[in-house]
Amino acid sequence: MASDPDSTGKAGVVVAPPECSALEKLSHSVLDDLLYNIVHDLVLNVHREEKMARARTAAIRIEKMAADASESSTPDSRPDVRIETDAAIYEDNRVLLKGNPLKTTKDILCPRCHLPRLLQPTDGKGAKKQDPSIIYCKKHPYIEKAGHDIYGQTWVAPGPGRGKKKKDLEKKLDGADPSSPAAAAEGTIKDRPAHVLSFPSATCSKCKRCILVTRLNNHMGACIGNSGRNASRTAAQKISNGGSNGGSQNNDNTPPGSQRGTSLPASRAASPRKRDGDEFDEDADESDPTNPKKKKLKPTTLTRKVVLKKAPSAAGTPLAATKKDKVKTSSMLNMEQKIDADDGKDLTVQVASKKVMPGKGGHLQPRS
Amino acid sequence: MSARPTTPASPKNFQIKGPQPGMPLYGCEHVQRLFNQDQATTNTSVQHYKAILRNILDLPAMQAQTAKAMDSGAITTSLTPTYLCLQCPSILSEEDLAKHGSRKSHRFYVDSRSGALYCQMCEDIVWDPTLEELRQRKIATGTFTPRRKRKQDEMLAADPIKDDPKYITNNTTLTSCKANGLRGIYNAGATCYQNVVLQTFLHNPILRNFYLSDRHSSSSCDIPYCLSCAMDDMFQDFYAHENTNGYTAANILSGFWISEKKAFENLVTTKEQDAHEFFQFLAEELHERNGDGMRPESGSEHSCNCIIHQTFYGKLQSTTTCQNCSGVTNQVQSFLDLSLPLENLAQKKGKKSGSGSKATSMTLQECLEEEYIKQDKCEYRCNSCNSMQQARRQTSIKMLPNVVSIQLKRFEFKQGRNERAAKIETPVHFPLTLNMLPYTERARNFNTKEYPEWGRAATYDLMSVVVHVGEIDTGHYVSYCRVGDQWFAFNDHKVELASKSEVLGAKAYLLFYIIRSLG
Repeated sequence: MASDPDSTGKAGVVVAPPECSALEKLSHSVLDDLLYNIVHDLVLNVHREEKMARARTAAIRIEKMAADASESSTPDSRPDVRIETDAAIYEDNRVLLKGNPLKTTKDILCPRCHLPRLLQPTDGKGAKKQDPSIIYCKKHPYIEKAGHDIYGQTWVAPGPGRGKKKKDLEKKLDGADPSSPAAAAEGTIKDRPAHVLSFPSATCSKCKRCILVTRLNNHMGACIGNSGRNASRTAAQKISNGGSNGGSQNNDNTPPGSQRGTSLPASRAASPRKRDGDEFDEDADESDPTNPKKKKLKPTTLTRKVVLKKAPSAAGTPLAATKKDKVKTSSMLNMEQKIDADDGKDLTVQVASKKVMPGKGGHLQPRS
Repeated sequence: MSARPTTPASPKNFQIKGPQPGMPLYGCEHVQRLFNQDQATTNTSVQHYKAILRNILDLPAMQAQTAKAMDSGAITTSLTPTYLCLQCPSILSEEDLAKHGSRKSHRFYVDSRSGALYCQMCEDIVWDPTLEELRQRKIATGTFTPRRKRKQDEMLAADPIKDDPKYITNNTTLTSCKANGLRGIYNAGATCYQNVVLQTFLHNPILRNFYLSDRHSSSSCDIPYCLSCAMDDMFQDFYAHENTNGYTAANILSGFWISEKKAFENLVTTKEQDAHEFFQFLAEELHERNGDGMRPESGSEHSCNCIIHQTFYGKLQSTTTCQNCSGVTNQVQSFLDLSLPLENLAQKKGKKSGSGSKATSMTLQECLEEEYIKQDKCEYRCNSCNSMQQARRQTSIKMLPNVVSIQLKRFEFKQGRNERAAKIETPVHFPLTLNMLPYTERARNFNTKEYPEWGRAATYDLMSVVVHVGEIDTGHYVSYCRVGDQWFAFNDHKVELASKSEVLGAKAYLLFYIIRSLG
């Protein structure tokens, strides 16, 4: 740009003041050009992404039309028909573009599932309401909203089970008898919008007890045993006692005897249960049949899988008699039952949460 | 234009990319016409395009940026893009494009800064599948010919039956488009130091490909509480399921608790821990599960072919020169990560600038230079002198790993009585793209400017950043990971979008750089 007599570069944003030295003009011009290049590169990247996505959309659309038009039902062979749309021509098994896809094609189809992509986030920055009549590809734009994650989720605020004070506070907020998990669960469902998640529970892989995730580390420290002076002793004691109380073993100083609580639902063991996820299993329910692992299901691993305890998808009816716990990755319960029989050696302690437990009120705390 | 001959290097006719489902055959109607004239036109067009790309990407930018005005003949070098005609050797400024087009009927031009193809009839940049593939390959690997044997393939030995596309389609259930590996991990009680490291593993493409291609299948592993199986399950959960809720890393946690690694016994408590120690623990544990089972002793040149070694392990060479007899001793060690002390450099820099005791900020490159370019003095026992001697020692990188893990030693023990470890809060600026070549042994012994391909092979992109907030003995870990070009902030179970400036402004503790091209 040395030969450019102007006081600015190509972008025309960084303008040198009039009546300044040649060097000053040059440096303004260089800076302006650099700014132009940065914007140019950014725009080029977006252009590439967008134009290629639209071109692919045109291709996907016309290939589908061609496949529909042809009689042959074999999915592999490419149909021998000629079809023309505003955006593309299908001819001799080839897709040829017509015009500029940025002009001819307005939406974007997912190259994997061939469903239209949702182009604006549903919440937060730049949000737009989605058309309820269209089934969109499940890959949504990420949500940018303070206090929410990229999926628009938030979590139950005072981390349940973290300290007595917070817990008590939450119980008060629930406005229900804290000793009754059923009542508490009902309260939280009413108060909580769908995108607010609670902390799940997981089974300890050693004692197979169900522990609220925020306490898992403490529990394992006590249960598996390198933590605390007499941790292993208490752990051994607990196992021999059948581990009747799931909630209090993180306290190393408590004598083992006093930890033997009752197995009534009012015991502390039940407390994680009542705040279990009531809504996020909607996802899991619909995904279960359609979304097995990429590879073949690995039945033997199921016995070791993390078990998220979930209520059925009917979130409004928490007391439904069909309530059952599930292994996270699969709903083929009969299959799991079979595996349990086959693979019993892994299960010296029965994982209660795998069983179907019909009609037991609200409390399904597995007691192993 | 470059002086390279335009005749094809091989007598073979150039074939454009065949039809692929869901993809148009050409970038636009006009490219279609160009490629359908006759084979000779296709050949020369592609040859010209390759020559232009070589010019743009391999030669000094000056050449392609210099255009000759059509009317006045004035020669101008600009910073902004010029356009290289695909059909003749002209380089044109944007203003002259239309004129050149109408006079010569040349319709295709290449953007001098990106190599993108501009079609004058579309009045738009077009992305032709054939030409775009050439451009991408040239940018990524520096060559147009695809490498048959990529490192990745050697890493994951090919299976003729299982690699057959039909076999793959018949045995595949497509995962949902929603399953993208972006999930938080619940804090199981002061386990954020684990979560941040797990997230960096989850978003490491090499490890991801390893586990998703079933290289350690938890169904066929008999080891109880195997951490690699737990990783396998976790990768499955992240990349195959639609769940957007946080993940409960119970199996990792129990594997960690049950692990018998004596060196990490102090780590296994319910207290807050060091993420770097956990990273080392996890890497060594996974090495044992996947590799030759030998414990990687630090200081030895031990190397194996396990995924962890292929990903993280490099080699350092320290050269010690005796000041007395000038005898040279070389010692090679393998390393999992590069630990960079900040304390000394911060003080040194602070003194130099005269702004007080400590520097206000440093760059990552300065830290690397201090460790891997500069020499230091030491005392050692020289074999030939047979006595303790002053010596000069220089350490440099003999072999670069695919993922360079860098620890910035923010926690350091201070000498002196009753003084506890302190956290160094000095910001260290780190780049998105890091050239590791200056810190290698090659750079010490050769003039690297003569080997441009070395620079390419030593180019790394920032992949993950682990940040510690708070005091030395209590605080919280968060991490940033890049997926494609988008950065995400991981704070236990919460995943949020992050901007590049947010990432680069973070006070990093651990940095993970991944090699740009495995070529």
